[in-house]
Amino acid sequence: MDTPREPDQVATRLLSFIRTSFLAGDPEGELGVDTPLLEFGILNSLNTAEMIAFIHEEFGVSLAFDEVTATTFKTVASLSSLVSARTTVDSTRR
Amino acid sequence: MTDNLQDLLVAAAARWPDAVAVKTPEEKVTYGELDRRADLFAGALSAAGVRRGDRVVLWRPKSADVIAVMQAALRIGAAYVPVDPLAPPDRVRRIVDDAGARVLCAPRAVAAGEPAFHGVACVDLDSRSVGAPTPPAPVRSASGDLAYLLYTSGSRGVPKGVCISHGNALAFIRWFAGELRADRQDVFANHAPFSFDLSVLDIYVAMAAGATVAIVPPDAAYTPKRLVDFLHQENITVWYSVPSVLMLMQGDGELASGPAPKALRAVLFAGEPFPIAYVRELAGWTTARLLNLYGPTETNVCTYRQVRAADLEREVPVPIGEACCGNRVWARRPDGTVARPGEEGELVVDGPTVFQGYWGRAKQEGPYATGDRVRVCDDGSFDYLGRGDDVVKIRGNRIDLGDVATALHSHPGVADVAVVAVGDGLERRLVAFVVRRPETAFGQISLRRHLAGRVPPYLIPQDLRFVPELPRTARGKIATGTLRARAAEKEGTHGYAP
Repeated sequence: MDTPREPDQVATRLLSFIRTSFLAGDPEGELGVDTPLLEFGILNSLNTAEMIAFIHEEFGVSLAFDEVTATTFKTVASLSSLVSARTTVDSTRR
Repeated sequence: MTDNLQDLLVAAAARWPDAVAVKTPEEKVTYGELDRRADLFAGALSAAGVRRGDRVVLWRPKSADVIAVMQAALRIGAAYVPVDPLAPPDRVRRIVDDAGARVLCAPRAVAAGEPAFHGVACVDLDSRSVGAPTPPAPVRSASGDLAYLLYTSGSRGVPKGVCISHGNALAFIRWFAGELRADRQDVFANHAPFSFDLSVLDIYVAMAAGATVAIVPPDAAYTPKRLVDFLHQENITVWYSVPSVLMLMQGDGELASGPAPKALRAVLFAGEPFPIAYVRELAGWTTARLLNLYGPTETNVCTYRQVRAADLEREVPVPIGEACCGNRVWARRPDGTVARPGEEGELVVDGPTVFQGYWGRAKQEGPYATGDRVRVCDDGSFDYLGRGDDVVKIRGNRIDLGDVATALHSHPGVADVAVVAVGDGLERRLVAFVVRRPETAFGQISLRRHLAGRVPPYLIPQDLRFVPELPRTARGKIATGTLRARAAEKEGTHGYAP
């Protein structure tokens, strides 16, 4: 459904979503691609589901059981590389 | 009559080899196949050095394989320790260390690159890749042997493992299988993570009856419409979840706007009070039995109530009911005497589902005091009132607000702090109001980093707010009521759906 996305483009969208949705805008500008999301309590079971829904709407990527792990959701960087790879695969398939 | 959990699968596989045991979006696994995989994994665990009396930590997303690994551990006389797949590696490591686990079972791709697991023996048990080692001779576990450890919110970041024996679990499973008259036609929905005790009912009552457990896909777990679709499409007969998930289905999922599925015959809820308006709506929507189950992890389920007409006429939640599973429960007044109808006290439990103690600490002897305040109803059942301390429950995790405040205060730039819990159901969350010292400019990520070094993620407030000062009462105390009202205004720092 979507064109392939570079990890950087994906990261930018994810950072912006997390800032506005979970961090009151992050006025100090501290959130980065390597900020631990689960470890710092930014993501929990409930808003992880929101992230999954956002990823689906924004990038057309549905994450499977095996992909929802502490490793993939560790940081924006890890999540972006997964989503980016999946947009590439999904659009090649088409 | 079996006296251990592994015999439930052995018996089901012998009687109903072709019945579907576990259903996920990826596969349908029969009892015969689950039994075969349990043997396969028992061989692999044994080859990895796991012996009778050891612990195996399970840190991977839900699947039929994970259930087979639980059974595999039991077959060689070991206990399993299920951990939330989203728990950060450092916390998993603390649990591995606390439990003195022989191995960590995790996907290789996940475990391999984690510095936190340095020195930990990791095995990747996946039925698609594990070879066929010879299964070891099965061990006959006794009723008092440890079956699994469930880690709960120990204070100040120290995990506390609740020790559940085979006998503890079976007392609950047998009671409920009988109460429900569970049979092979049943389809149990599994919503709860395997690290929460609600999942014990889904997995094992189904196994005891030769029924199917259908696992809710993770991306549907908090998506209202998809949950409602799941209930219909999977022909679920027994639904069990925390009330907040049902509230989500009834709210945005518009559960009650369509007809109730014919197959549905029991809806169970536990873990927190269910606002009565929602229970009324459910009762008007379905003819299925509605059951309120109660019990801290330390007692599994110790009381229950089937919702009746008179309960719906009250303005308070359904009572937690009366004792079950062969337990004795009573309300203890502050002077130590037993409360009578109309009186209040702390709920105390004695009987077969009371745990063996926390791992590595003194054995639990005699009755367990829950810390929950109850009132005795006229018929001898109990109404839940709340906690006698600063402990709150958020999506199943028990949290001591004092621990959260202490952790925040330990940051050098923090001048003052107040922590409150607000909201109902899934919207329930911790809100911290933090006053920064003058001339400091750190933001919430810095503060979160500091907290993460001290406490598990669920003790880190979802909503951190910096304020110039805390409101105080005329007598100088922090005005908690004012803060709660302010916190409930949802200043956009969290992203919960309306």
